[in-house]
Amino acid sequence: MRGRVAVLGAGGFVGARFLEMAVREREIDVVPVVRALRSAGRSAHLGLDYRLGDASRPESLGRALEGCDVVVDLTKGDPANILRTTESVHAAATATGARLVVHLSSAVVYGTLDSPNVADDAPPVVSLRSAYAREKAAAERFIGAHMKESRVATVVLRPSLIWGPGSPYVLGAATDLLRGSAYLVGGGAGLCTLMHVDNLVQSILAVIRHPAAPSGFYHVGDDEVTTWRDFYFGIAAGIGANAATIHMLPGGDYRPALRDRVRDLQNLGAYEWMKDRVPLETRTAIKRRLARGRDGGLVMVAAGSARPSVTREVWELQRTRFRLPTARFQSEFGRQNSVSFEQGMSASIAWLRYIGATRSDAAPMPLAAAAD
Amino acid sequence: MDSRTVAPDERPVPVKIAVIGCGAVVEGLYRRALERLEARGLARVVALIDPNAARTSALARHFRSARGFATPDDAFAATNPGLAIVTSPAAAHAEHTVSALAAGIDVLCEKPMAAHRGDAERMVAAARGSGRVLAIGMTRRMYPCLVEARSLVARSALGDDLRFVYREGHVYDWPVSTSAAFRRATAGGGVLVDLGSHVLDVVAALFGTLEVNAYADDAEATGVDANALIDIATPIATGVVQLSWSQPLLGGLHVMGSAGELILDPPRLDSLMYRSRGGTWEKVACKATWPRDLARRGPRETPRTHRDCIYYQLVQVLRAIVHGEPVPVSGEQGLGIVSAIDSCYERASSLRIPWLTAMEQAEADARHWRARRCVAA
Repeated sequence: MRGRVAVLGAGGFVGARFLEMAVREREIDVVPVVRALRSAGRSAHLGLDYRLGDASRPESLGRALEGCDVVVDLTKGDPANILRTTESVHAAATATGARLVVHLSSAVVYGTLDSPNVADDAPPVVSLRSAYAREKAAAERFIGAHMKESRVATVVLRPSLIWGPGSPYVLGAATDLLRGSAYLVGGGAGLCTLMHVDNLVQSILAVIRHPAAPSGFYHVGDDEVTTWRDFYFGIAAGIGANAATIHMLPGGDYRPALRDRVRDLQNLGAYEWMKDRVPLETRTAIKRRLARGRDGGLVMVAAGSARPSVTREVWELQRTRFRLPTARFQSEFGRQNSVSFEQGMSASIAWLRYIGATRSDAAPMPLAAAAD
Repeated sequence: MDSRTVAPDERPVPVKIAVIGCGAVVEGLYRRALERLEARGLARVVALIDPNAARTSALARHFRSARGFATPDDAFAATNPGLAIVTSPAAAHAEHTVSALAAGIDVLCEKPMAAHRGDAERMVAAARGSGRVLAIGMTRRMYPCLVEARSLVARSALGDDLRFVYREGHVYDWPVSTSAAFRRATAGGGVLVDLGSHVLDVVAALFGTLEVNAYADDAEATGVDANALIDIATPIATGVVQLSWSQPLLGGLHVMGSAGELILDPPRLDSLMYRSRGGTWEKVACKATWPRDLARRGPRETPRTHRDCIYYQLVQVLRAIVHGEPVPVSGEQGLGIVSAIDSCYERASSLRIPWLTAMEQAEADARHWRARRCVAA
C-alpha cells in the first residue's frame, strides 16, 4: 500500500464497517473524514484519529485529504448534495494529488431493469422517479464526463441493496415481520439483488490494493440469485417470527398512495428550501422521535395484527426481474465475495438477536460465552 | 432520594447561577430550562465560564445578566454565585466541583459525575466538608415512568426473584463540539460512561446498590467502548445491561418477577407497561408531578419532555438550596454509579460480537484495550 486512505462518510453504515475491516486487516492506514465529530461516535471503539471535512466544500475537504493517496467516497447525505459532493471530492482529490478515488454509486441509476445485459459503462437512465436516484445518476454523469482527462483514476462501484448486520433493509424487514406488517409482492418471486456489506468492503479494498486500478464503472453484487421470499423467510425463521403472517400481495403495477404524494412533495425544491432552514438538531430529534414511534411497542404487537405499509420503492424492488452482471469487476479485480447468502443471513440474524429484534424475550449473549 | 439535607438558609431568590463549561450540553439541554427559571424569577445566570470565549459570548446573548469568564475562580470572585452548574468535560468535573464547593457554592454536576472513583470521592468529601449541596444531573430520575416503576417495585407488584434485561442504544448523534467524549483520558470511557451513567442510575433507582459481576466491551487499542455488556446484581434483582453507540438496541428495560413483569423504555417519559403473572399487558398511567417553583406548597406539574425534566431537576436543586429539601440524586448516589463503572472497567474483557467471523473476533480480542495493557505491562 503506497499511502493513506481517506474515508469520506466514515460515520455511515458502510463507512463504519469499512473502518472496522480495514483496521483489523492491519494493511491499510485509514484516515476517517467526517463533517461533524458526532459521526466519530459510531466507531469510537477503534481509537482512530478523525479529520473534519465537509465533503461538499472543496476547500474544507482539501485540508482533510492532505497526504492521502486514495479517497473512498462513501458519503450519502441529502440527495440535493450528491452532485455537489461528487464535484467537490473530484476537485479536492485532484488538488491534493491523490492517485485514486473510489466512488460508491448505486444500481438505482438504472431504475427498473428490463434486461439482464446492462453493460457496466451503460449511461444512467435519464428519467428516474426518486430524487436520490436522479442525483446519483447526475453524479455518475459528472464523473463520466471528467474520467478521461482527469489525473486521478476514478473507480465507480454500483451495488444494489447493501445488507448484513446493521443494514436498514435487514432491520426494516425484521421489524415488519415482528409487527405482522411484512408483505411480499407476487409471492416474493422477484429478485432480491443483494450485496453483503463485507463483500462490498472487500471489493473496495481490492480496488485500493490494485497497483493501477483502471478508471471505469463497475457493477458489483453478491454471487447467488436470491428472491425476496428467500430474504423474508430467512429472517422470519431466524428471529422467531411467524412467516404465515406475511401479507401476500398480487403482482402488477403499483397504485400510488398518500405516502407517495408526500414523497413527491419531498422531491420539490420548496421542501429542500424549508428543510435547510430547520436546524440539524431539530431534524435529528424529529427523525428519532418518528423512529421511536415506528419501533414502539415491538414486544406488545400481536403477530399478524398490523397492516402492511406498502411503498412504491419496495413494491418496485420486489418486482425486480434482472440483476446487473458483475463479470467486468471480477475480471479486473478478482472475485471478492467471501460471504455467501447463508453466511450473510446467519450474521444478520445474529445481529438482530443482539439488538433485541426477536420474537422471544431472549437475553443478550451471556458473558460466559464472551470469555470462551 | 437521599436523606441528606442542608439547613434552610437565607439564600436570596433569584439564586445566582454560574455555568462552568458552555458546550453542547448547555446549548442543547440547559439553556431553555435556565431561561424558564429566569423568566419565573427563580434564578439568574450571572456567569458563563469556558476557555473558549466564542462559546460564552454566544450563550450570553440569551442571559441579560451573564458575563463571560475564562476560569471559575475569576467568575466566583466577580459574581458571587449561589449555584454552580458543572457541564465541563467529565475529566474536569472534580476540579470544578471541588473549587466551587470550597468557595461556598452549591453544585449541580452534570453526569457522568467524574471520570474515576477517586475524583468522585473527592467531590463527595468536599461537599461534606463545606456543608454545601452536591447534586448530580441524572435527569431520568424526574421521568414519570421511572417514578411509577419505582412505585410498582416498592409495593412488590412484580413479586420476588426479579430478573431484568436492559437494552439501550442507538447510533451516536449527540452534537459534540470536541472529541473529548471519545478519549479515555478525557471521558474516562465511552458508551458505559455516557449512556451507562443514566442506565445504571435507573437500575440503582429501582433495585438498589449495584454489584458488577462481569463486564465486556468492544474498545480496541486507544478507543473507547461503543458497545458494552454488564452482568449486574442488586439486593433484589439480577440482570444484564446492554449499551451501544453503534446499534439501535430495542426493548428498553424488561423486568420479570414471580408476580408480574414490566417494560420501561426510558427515552420515553410515559412509556411503562405492566402485566401480572398470566395477565395481559397494560399501559400504566404516568402522572408523577414535581414542584414548578420554589413555593413550599406551590403548584406541581408532570414533565412532558426531557427538557422539562431538566427544568424540574433544576427547581428541585434550588429547593434543596433554599428549603433544604433532598436533591434528586446526591453526590453519594453519583459516587455509587461511578464506582460501578470503575468496577466494570477494572474487569473488562473483550465483548463477543456474534456476527463476526472467528478470525475477526480473534483480531478484535487481540486488539482489546485491556489485552494490550496486559501485554504492555
